[in-house]
Amino acid sequence: MSEKLIPVTVLTGYLGAGKTTLLNRILTEQHGKRYAVVINEFGESGVDNDLVVDTDEEVFEMNNGCICCTVRGDLIRIITGLMKRRDQFDGIIVETTGLADPAPVAQTFFVDEDVKARTRLDAIVTVVDAKHVLARLADSSEALEQIAFADVIVLNKLDLVTPEELTAIEARIRSINRYSTIHHATRADVPADKLLGINAFDLARVLENAPDFLDDDSHTHDEHMLSISLTTTTPLDAEKFNAWISGVLAMQGQDILRTKGILAFKDEDRKFAFQAVHMMADGDFITPWPQGRARESKLVFIGRNLNRPQLRRGFDSCVAA
Amino acid sequence: MSEVLSAADRMLRERGVQRDCGAYVTSLAFTRDQSHAVFGLGDGRLVSRARVGADWQEQSRHDGAVTALAADFDGAGILSGGDDGTVRRFEPGTGAELMLANYGMKWVNHLISIVDRKAPLRAAAVGKNLHLLDQAGSVLRTLTHPSTITGLALDAKAKRIGASHYNGASLWFLRSDQTKPLSLEWKGSHLAIAIHPNLYAVATAMQENALHGWRISDLQHMRMSGYPAKPESLGFTASGKWLASAGAEAVILWPFFGGGPMGKAPLELAGGDRAMVKRVACHPAHEVVAAGYSDGLVVVIDVERQRILPVSAPGRGAVSALGWSDDGATLGFGTETGFAALIDFSTKETA
Repeated sequence: MSEKLIPVTVLTGYLGAGKTTLLNRILTEQHGKRYAVVINEFGESGVDNDLVVDTDEEVFEMNNGCICCTVRGDLIRIITGLMKRRDQFDGIIVETTGLADPAPVAQTFFVDEDVKARTRLDAIVTVVDAKHVLARLADSSEALEQIAFADVIVLNKLDLVTPEELTAIEARIRSINRYSTIHHATRADVPADKLLGINAFDLARVLENAPDFLDDDSHTHDEHMLSISLTTTTPLDAEKFNAWISGVLAMQGQDILRTKGILAFKDEDRKFAFQAVHMMADGDFITPWPQGRARESKLVFIGRNLNRPQLRRGFDSCVAA
Repeated sequence: MSEVLSAADRMLRERGVQRDCGAYVTSLAFTRDQSHAVFGLGDGRLVSRARVGADWQEQSRHDGAVTALAADFDGAGILSGGDDGTVRRFEPGTGAELMLANYGMKWVNHLISIVDRKAPLRAAAVGKNLHLLDQAGSVLRTLTHPSTITGLALDAKAKRIGASHYNGASLWFLRSDQTKPLSLEWKGSHLAIAIHPNLYAVATAMQENALHGWRISDLQHMRMSGYPAKPESLGFTASGKWLASAGAEAVILWPFFGGGPMGKAPLELAGGDRAMVKRVACHPAHEVVAAGYSDGLVVVIDVERQRILPVSAPGRGAVSALGWSDDGATLGFGTETGFAALIDFSTKETA
């Protein structure tokens, strides 16, 4: 079955950041695509679309002893339900409430086999209100997590800040999440093709488009939430890596929001793409490494209380003998 | 191989009628007078077929997908629910239609009717709410649950109704003003429910690739795990001796006798073809279970004799709807790719 996977875009953002404005802009744009839109019933205003599903965000804890394995059961049900009429739309957009933690949404795509077999998480898009973001980051962990989780950030309401303020805001966002793409906007005016169907959750694609994306090893400034990247040109031992990363995620998965990596295993010509949200991990061999060039494994962590030297040592210990 | 496949199709060929519906078959129901079978489709159509002498009929009913179908409490009607938020009644014999309720943007996830000479009921699960509607369609009571209802089941006497949801299930008396159900608690996401015919136990299927059960007398937990996939579909056999379930490459049957299921291994039947069982349907009278697989295979299993009768060969899409008529004479099934069929098991000669 080579059925095409339906792309799912998750739209997050703090209350009043402009999520609904962005959603309506995307839907009314002439892009010739039809989207099924999943909104929550506490949504700020109406959404103008043919196929709108109204849901309660129903998060449940998996009964597997892992306290951070929380999942949006309503999304599993809705996505499975939408697949019964899958010829009626080209993609799914999930809007979350302003106070939502993005982790359960992202983890939903790791947990359920039916959802995994039929859809792929295209990108987590976070809308940020430039005027208020620094205050929100100071008083709300949700705002911080939404930025840390983002593949794409729409920095909105730029008409309300000065160029100096914008520089400070961007530096702050980068200190939390160095690996997202930032788009500037004033009234959520970002073209749909920058947000939908971009394959941003899929690290392999991002790396292909920007090969140096993860190379920057400069240290970050936020002691609470930060990103770390590790690289090596020595091939890794798959078993050693699995044992190490499983231990890291089991011990620190609550603090590690996202892990992404492209890995070169010994005696393997294909790249191994690794993804995790908190403790839930997934990996797959993808495209072959290009001929005649050095193969560099890259691994990125975004989270809190990350001990860089310790992670570095652990990663280095995974090289093949 | 083709001979094997052709043999697997013998029941379909010799005793079946079939149709390519061109859309995902989401649901299936038979009228209580056994005169018609109705299939619900992912594009909102209802496709029906009379048992005797008629051809397939087709109506467009819901704007969106048909999400639920059930026999209405009378002989002739079928209840249908959609992701358009409506509950409708439809008579396949006459084509008559009636809109019973409209819940707007909320999906109607499950429907069930309760036969009662004096005061029949219809139950509609919409989000967290279970609406009990009277004959005229007015709401008698709304039973609210902690999260969205994922499955509904009645006990054999239709006195109680069970609903599965997050962290367990709720068991209500249909004819009482109780404001609280019997709460059956177990952490996790419960996706479907079955009630033992003697009310000995309630069982649910879980997202965590397991079944869970509660013995009603003392609420003892019954853990039934080890599935490679979500079980999704489960049911007790007519006598209540076995709990049949999907979610593995064989039909998994847990013994509810001799102290089971606790400490007992389940029976695994009709496995070995490397396709996953997606739907099971227990026969209303005999210890017989029908099973539909991810590759389209449909079989009927005589549990006591452990004999397996192939009904329809693989290759027509994953089975997404499966059920027996109340009299046990007809087996119906439908697939994700739109194949629908009815198999006649009624004649004296047994296959």
